[in-house]
Amino acid sequence: MGAYYCSICRQTTFNGKGHIFGKNHQSRLRVVLLKFLEKVKEARRTLKKPQVEKFDCTQHKQTFWCYCCALEIERNVTDGNMTVLYGGLLEHMATQEHRKNTHTFWWENKADPKFRDKVIITKEETEKFKTEVANVLESFVEKEDEYIKQEADHIRAQEKNRQEVIQSLLERDAEPELFKGPNGTDPCAEDSVSSQFMAQGSGQQNGGSFVDSVVEVPRTATGQGLTFIGYQDSSSSGNVHTGAVPPWLQDDPLEGTSGGAVHPEIGPSLQDFLKQKEQEKLRKLPPNRVGANFDHSSHTDANWLPSFGRVWNSGRRWQSRHQFRQEEGQKNRQKRKREHSTEVTKKTKT
Amino acid sequence: MSLFLPKLKCKKDIDEVIKSVAEKVVVLRFGRDEDSVCLQLDEILSKTAHDLSNMASIYIVDVDKAPIYTRYFDISYIPSTVFFFNGQHMKVDYGSPDHTKFVGSFKTKQDFIDLIEVIYRGAMRGKMIVQSPIDPQNIPKYDLLYHGI
Repeated sequence: MGAYYCSICRQTTFNGKGHIFGKNHQSRLRVVLLKFLEKVKEARRTLKKPQVEKFDCTQHKQTFWCYCCALEIERNVTDGNMTVLYGGLLEHMATQEHRKNTHTFWWENKADPKFRDKVIITKEETEKFKTEVANVLESFVEKEDEYIKQEADHIRAQEKNRQEVIQSLLERDAEPELFKGPNGTDPCAEDSVSSQFMAQGSGQQNGGSFVDSVVEVPRTATGQGLTFIGYQDSSSSGNVHTGAVPPWLQDDPLEGTSGGAVHPEIGPSLQDFLKQKEQEKLRKLPPNRVGANFDHSSHTDANWLPSFGRVWNSGRRWQSRHQFRQEEGQKNRQKRKREHSTEVTKKTKT
Repeated sequence: MSLFLPKLKCKKDIDEVIKSVAEKVVVLRFGRDEDSVCLQLDEILSKTAHDLSNMASIYIVDVDKAPIYTRYFDISYIPSTVFFFNGQHMKVDYGSPDHTKFVGSFKTKQDFIDLIEVIYRGAMRGKMIVQSPIDPQNIPKYDLLYHGI
């Protein structure tokens, strides 16, 4: 009764062989076997029809764990360019050590003997597999060669096309050049230019300058392939080497006729800016607040009254204002009447 | 106390204030400076004026100086406080018979602050009449008589 480490349950037990027959162990064993057998099934499928693929470093370097031998084995067999899928797995399972280990594993863990043979691959099977693999490899290599040849042909055709285009363009331009030569003001220069041109054209490969020479009639400088645009005379205004003021810092001659004008200010004035700030604040307030559309700066006359719902009124507020004005009107009339009557009485008295 | 609060002397001043104060509650206290209850109210107003300065502007009006408003707002008891927001009159239900103004003084400064806050919030949400947060026990009682009688 010593300490016994069961690698399937990953536990140390002190019951010795008793652990193997326990429920836990058996269930774990079943799960493990299932997973293992799945992988083997996949591999077996390729026994009869081996699959060869171009080596893909992201996928084909996978390893798997063989429970029987407690080793990590490469799943595929590869030589850098091509891989035989599941080749490694099948090879490993055919070895003698694996057979022995499988038997011990089955015995130790008391697993179901039905599955044991599935995990081992017999010699005949391996022989068959090897021949099949050889065939498939050959056909694969042939296919690859085919593909490469096709690509090469395609590229050659494109090259030819390009060459023809260049030739046709060169021929077309070379003729008017020859005609212009004797009529131009500087015949000898033209001649030399055109001869240079022809020399270029005949020996030309995909030079970068042939586009330029096609588009405009060039006078090629000694730097072959560049367009010469003339000698730049900057002795009056200076250039970058003499340290003159760059054009973008000079005053624009088109800018305004008045000499002493201040640079036009850009952006809003201070007033506008402050107003904008105020407006921003207002915008943040809820739009349905009381008096949102009240014009604060509107001019009202002396008899303006604010909207006020009076105490004994019910109904709209402007009605109460209206009523108030009416009452005031009546009161004034009464007052005038009284005054008038007193005046009359005064008059009659005196 | 009422020395620190701005005074309005005539109808024109009152109109100016009502029209010009934007996005803040306008508090108009109608009363007389010598009256005892007015003095109490003025003290509360002046002490809270600074804290409420972002929400409200408080002004003192003498009832004898602007009789037209005294009649328009139907002021029969002093002090009476009327509230405006953006030129609109705000009504508050205190549990008393008159919703258009607050009659009397407040019991504590906190009452007044709460009331201003409720009015401000109501106005921001578009309500022209709000419920007063003050305990009805602290609201001064008065009888409202119809003037026709």
